[in-house]
Amino acid sequence: MIVRKTSIDSIMTNDQQILDALRVPSTREGAFRQLVSLYKERLYWHIRKIVLNHDDTDDVLQNTFIKIWNGIDSFRGDSSLFTWLYRIATNESITFLNQKKRKLTSSLTSETDFLVNNLESDPYFDGNHWQKLLQKAIAQLPEKQRIVFNMKYYDDIKYEDMSEILETSVGALKASYHHAVKKVEEFIKYHETRVEY
Amino acid sequence: MYNEEEHIESEFMKQHGANPFKVPDGYFDSFNDRIMCKIQAENKQKGRSVNFVRILKPVLAVAASILLVYLVVNSQFTTHNVSRELSMSAISTVKDDSTLNFSLIDESTLVNAIFSDDNSNSTDINSEDMLAYLSSGLNEVQIFSEIQNN
Repeated sequence: MIVRKTSIDSIMTNDQQILDALRVPSTREGAFRQLVSLYKERLYWHIRKIVLNHDDTDDVLQNTFIKIWNGIDSFRGDSSLFTWLYRIATNESITFLNQKKRKLTSSLTSETDFLVNNLESDPYFDGNHWQKLLQKAIAQLPEKQRIVFNMKYYDDIKYEDMSEILETSVGALKASYHHAVKKVEEFIKYHETRVEY
Repeated sequence: MYNEEEHIESEFMKQHGANPFKVPDGYFDSFNDRIMCKIQAENKQKGRSVNFVRILKPVLAVAASILLVYLVVNSQFTTHNVSRELSMSAISTVKDDSTLNFSLIDESTLVNAIFSDDNSNSTDINSEDMLAYLSSGLNEVQIFSEIQNN
């Protein structure tokens, strides 16, 4: 826990330095490169858990950084840079899924089916049988619960940070996570006894 | 209130945070260059569209002015022509009416109209009286006094 706090403190210092450099035209590009280096992996894994497929994640991540580059002047520092970046990445991921959803409406395929297909067709999914089942269980969850579950289960993001990123109260987030865990448990219990798993 | 402890024994909670996903080799190493290339390409595209608009703006302004002048002049000319055409058509209608009247009258009707009794009624004066009257050499004062006397 102490290690985590130290790393966040150092990020905050770096964030401020990066933000200062981003506001100066001559150092802007270099600072942006630094920002990309610092956050690309964390944002990638955050997006990947939402859209599941590597190629889609790559597209969404690129769009996220382009949005960040274009909107850096509008960042007023009301929230931390980390929160702002995660919010953009989350919104881009949701926008991507909504676009897919609109296309799926005509083909009568649900979002869950799309996510499962996305996972099964992805050559960069390295999970075992059980992890695949867990991903299918997560794919059944409503969008908000899915995002909250992933942020807590995989990245262990604090509810307070999550509250800023998702603009939802801490209480509502805790309730979402609670419901998500229950549903995932039930799904796994039900499917573990089946032959296909 | 949700208690995380009650789920701690769940099988999937034991594997908390295990990442089943992977990325292609060197993906993160090349990402910085790819994103910077994309941003530069986008900036160039933006610059091009800004330049295009900058060039196009005065051209469009001139074209719009010319079009405006043309429309104003054209509308004035059209209004003038329409009123002129209207008055001309009114004249031609009158003309046509008179032509039509003459064409409708046949020859016998015309002869009857000229030599009808109406003319003889209005000039009930014989020729001798007329000659006497003309040769009397009366001036205006005398004529006036004669009329007064009659």
